[in-house]
Amino acid sequence: MINAVRAEMLKLRSMPGIWVCFGLTFPLTALFIWAIFAASGGTPGHTYDFVHTLNERRQLLGAGYNGIMFLAPILGVICITSEYRHKTITSTLVLVPRRSRVLRAKVVVTAWWCLLMALLSLVVVAVGALPWNAALGGVTSQVTDQAGAVVPGLVAASILLGLFGLGFGTLVKNQVAGILLTIGGTFILEPILVALARAIFNYDLNWLPTAAAQALAGSLSRGFGSGHDPITHLLSWWQGGLIMLAWGLVPLGFGYFTTVRRDIT
Amino acid sequence: MSAPSTSRGLPIEISGLTKHFGSVLAVDHLDFVVEPGRVTGFLGPNGSGKTTTLRMLLGLVTPNAGRATVGGQLYRDLPDPTGTVGAVLEATSFHPARRARTHLRMVARAGGHDEARADVVLDLVGLAADAKRKVGGFSMGMRQRLELASALIGDPDVLILDEPSNGLDPQGIAWLRDFMRYLASEGRTILVSSHLLAEMAQTIDNAVIVSHGQLKAQGTLESITAGVTQASMHARTPEADRLCAVLTEAGIRFRRLSVDLVAVDGTTPEQLGPLLATNQIILYELTNEGSDLESIFLSLTSGLGFGEMGQPA
Repeated sequence: MINAVRAEMLKLRSMPGIWVCFGLTFPLTALFIWAIFAASGGTPGHTYDFVHTLNERRQLLGAGYNGIMFLAPILGVICITSEYRHKTITSTLVLVPRRSRVLRAKVVVTAWWCLLMALLSLVVVAVGALPWNAALGGVTSQVTDQAGAVVPGLVAASILLGLFGLGFGTLVKNQVAGILLTIGGTFILEPILVALARAIFNYDLNWLPTAAAQALAGSLSRGFGSGHDPITHLLSWWQGGLIMLAWGLVPLGFGYFTTVRRDIT
Repeated sequence: MSAPSTSRGLPIEISGLTKHFGSVLAVDHLDFVVEPGRVTGFLGPNGSGKTTTLRMLLGLVTPNAGRATVGGQLYRDLPDPTGTVGAVLEATSFHPARRARTHLRMVARAGGHDEARADVVLDLVGLAADAKRKVGGFSMGMRQRLELASALIGDPDVLILDEPSNGLDPQGIAWLRDFMRYLASEGRTILVSSHLLAEMAQTIDNAVIVSHGQLKAQGTLESITAGVTQASMHARTPEADRLCAVLTEAGIRFRRLSVDLVAVDGTTPEQLGPLLATNQIILYELTNEGSDLESIFLSLTSGLGFGEMGQPA
């Protein structure tokens, strides 16, 4: 198992798509930090102001989540679909003939890269957002005091979103379709379903992947900017975590039995 | 290359191997054994089940019946799969952005081998100068060499090669031939599938010939060609059925190669010409072909079979 994990680590490290996902975490986190300061209700005559409310402080700490919510699943999708796109699945399964071992190794490396992604976003916050907040007159400790409430959820959500992407990728196999469906599902399909459920059934569709991850991550992106979030009751963080785990494991298990176990012809 | 004589190979055993893809019977109760220390050619026309058989041997395809083992064990049950078996399956299975050395380091890691082996095998296959190049810029021949390097990373006892000379230039093919013979001389088991029969005839010691998923012949090249060692005439005629009947009556061995082509063995134009004239058989072409693996292969795999005296193996 250790050999398989080490090989998968090197494999992902040598794939440009993984670095693109990882690298985009940096500008997207910076972008959302800027947006949070811009939207923090600055004093008259000022474009930006320091974060005032508890919610704003948590959003600032977890600014990376807004990018991670779609980059982590895409990373997971790339991790498995690149094997089919470049036909390397054949040599992978010759090198590691136990297929469950290959999938478990991919779970480990996907989780590792998503962890790094979350940590990178926190580094951007630490070196960019906190000094900026202090320069605007904010108290740094008021923000860092929220680390316990934000960081574990952010990291867990990132990892579980990555596993969701991995599971989804085992079912889809086609890389382009997997990435497009991930983006479309996150930004188009899920908001439409949530809005429809709210409008027609007055029901909070709060167990879909993004909403569940939002709950786990401490509603970091909720109500941000628009003020028209259709979900009024997010799940609790642990319910969100369990549901995200299910969103990762169920497609992974299903994909294992329907796709990965199939003949490689 | 020198030829050390150590015994280190393991037998490949295929027994009762059967595979259906829906209604298509790809491999039909196939039985054969590949011995160590020899280069065994796995020959058959396209769609004859060669690749499916090799993939079943490597655990990529699950058989409906039968077993394919290496040293008595399924590939996936081998304690050190890549240290036991090296496989060259398709030269396109590389990530184009990965560098040759990185690819081999990854292969070494997966098999639990020393990553320093990457440079050793790159040197072995003549790609040392291209170690830092991305595989996406490799030619087909270079990819074949890299695939071979991947197979050799664990210094395996058994080497399985599926059409390894595809994309190789004549120099590369000659190099591959010498390389396979060298590896076999070390006692390793070499199973190589190919449709380049003239090339195979110069390389292999043993042959397994399949058609429509069924075994047609197996053994040493000598034993397979034993029945047809004499010169052969190829007669192209619209009256092939009548020609076969005449030859049977005359006690002359023949092989039906196609609807209008018959190989007549152990005879000369001087003997065959009068026979054809006497029986007034229309002839479009009569050529002296000698006896080679290709004509035997065509006979075995054409589905039309040998004449009554020409059944080898």
